[in-house]
Amino acid sequence: MSAFRIVEIIPSRERCAEAGWYAWDFILDTPVDEALILSLRPFGSLLYLKSLSRPFFKVESDVSLIKGLVGDNFFRLSAHDSRRDLVQEVERFLAAAPDTNGKQ
Amino acid sequence: MINLNQAATTWPKPACVTEAMTAAFSAPPPGQFRSGAGGDGADVMEDTRQQLADLLGIGNPGRVFFASGATDAANALIRGLPLAGRRVLASQTEHNSVLRPLMNLRRHVGKVDIIPCDENGTVSPEAVSAMLEDPAAAVFISHCSNVTGAIQDLAAIGEIVHRKGAMLVVDVAQSAGCLPVGADAWGVDALIVTGHKGLFGPQGTGAYYVRPGLTLEPFRFGGTGRNSSQLIYTPEDYEYEPGTQNLPGIAALGAGIRWCLSAGVENIAKQERRLIARLRDGLRSLPGVHVYANGLSETGPVLSFTLAGLSPADLAYILSGTYDIRVRAGLHCAPLIHRALGTENGGTLRVSVSALTREAEIDQFLCAMGEIAAAQEVRS
Repeated sequence: MSAFRIVEIIPSRERCAEAGWYAWDFILDTPVDEALILSLRPFGSLLYLKSLSRPFFKVESDVSLIKGLVGDNFFRLSAHDSRRDLVQEVERFLAAAPDTNGKQ
Repeated sequence: MINLNQAATTWPKPACVTEAMTAAFSAPPPGQFRSGAGGDGADVMEDTRQQLADLLGIGNPGRVFFASGATDAANALIRGLPLAGRRVLASQTEHNSVLRPLMNLRRHVGKVDIIPCDENGTVSPEAVSAMLEDPAAAVFISHCSNVTGAIQDLAAIGEIVHRKGAMLVVDVAQSAGCLPVGADAWGVDALIVTGHKGLFGPQGTGAYYVRPGLTLEPFRFGGTGRNSSQLIYTPEDYEYEPGTQNLPGIAALGAGIRWCLSAGVENIAKQERRLIARLRDGLRSLPGVHVYANGLSETGPVLSFTLAGLSPADLAYILSGTYDIRVRAGLHCAPLIHRALGTENGGTLRVSVSALTREAEIDQFLCAMGEIAAAQEVRS
């Protein structure tokens, strides 16, 4: 996986949400790439539309949803009220990912 | 950025709206007579009130009162009209700006029953008549659905409502400035309007209308008014715009309404219908796309659809992130209509246009949708 750091985790600014879930944007110092997308598979089933001009991915479970576009410097996490702790879990998961460029 | 979410808030605005807002900020605060100011010059509030009345087919502009938007207007009416303990009807197409106050202001409203719509979002006069077999105090109904664009036959519905002795309360949030509105001709008892959609005003502006002779208990009491020494009001001297009003917003709203009147609402409606028809035809030719409300010959400036295999939320994310095209995904704050459409789970993707939307923007959107639909087809 490309080395990256989470620069910031920002709660969603959307004031008119649908499902009553909570959402956060994970801001990265490196654009989202395929390796990052594939690494997120433990969080649910992966939908990966590679044939789009900018590939779109979604990792979905009953209580969470991670989505983003290749090349963006962020991805979005939504979680059911009962699993708001997933923010920390995803953060820890990414922090523990293999570092190939010496970043930590 | 291409904004095809005009039904949420119109953008861009006509230049005159921005100019009016800037002029209102640049000028000293209007006189409050007791400071010695006043005299010549137009009164922004009365001028905008008159414009609204002209646009909405209201003969008595003095019964138009400013609000911060449709939600504020609906709350003012639902708290103030004589509905306590009385049965009230609302159409299945209603927005949460009406549904939530109706269903939560329990001290102010009795039982709320829903008038069903069909799969296009149309509420038939027959359905209204059937629901009025049992007496009701009022019928709340949107002129134009913000999900399917269905336009209700309010002349026929108004006639039935009055024959059954109920009040007709109409929400024109989605149609004002986009479709001809005839409040007096329809026999409207009260009307809800917002400023930031088809009227091109700023967010935080809107109004409500109450017909002459219908008493409305004020929602708020406070500063401003005719008599500073008066502390207690009676129904004979109620005032409905307490506190310092949003004059820059009202000035800008007035400019937006003037722009609509000058363009001609009939012309705007025709132009928006043409854009929606172009959208509908283009989307229906794409694989996996299901367009809703195909049974309607004419609609307002919105269109809903879904794409097989991708949720509306994902589609909106891709359109925004890859193509810089803004649309709206989900239930569109009108949860009940989705039971008629069969889209309770995930809603629809809504595309909406304004009088300033260009054909080229529609074509760019259709081109983007063509790419996404093709990618989906490859996947499946």
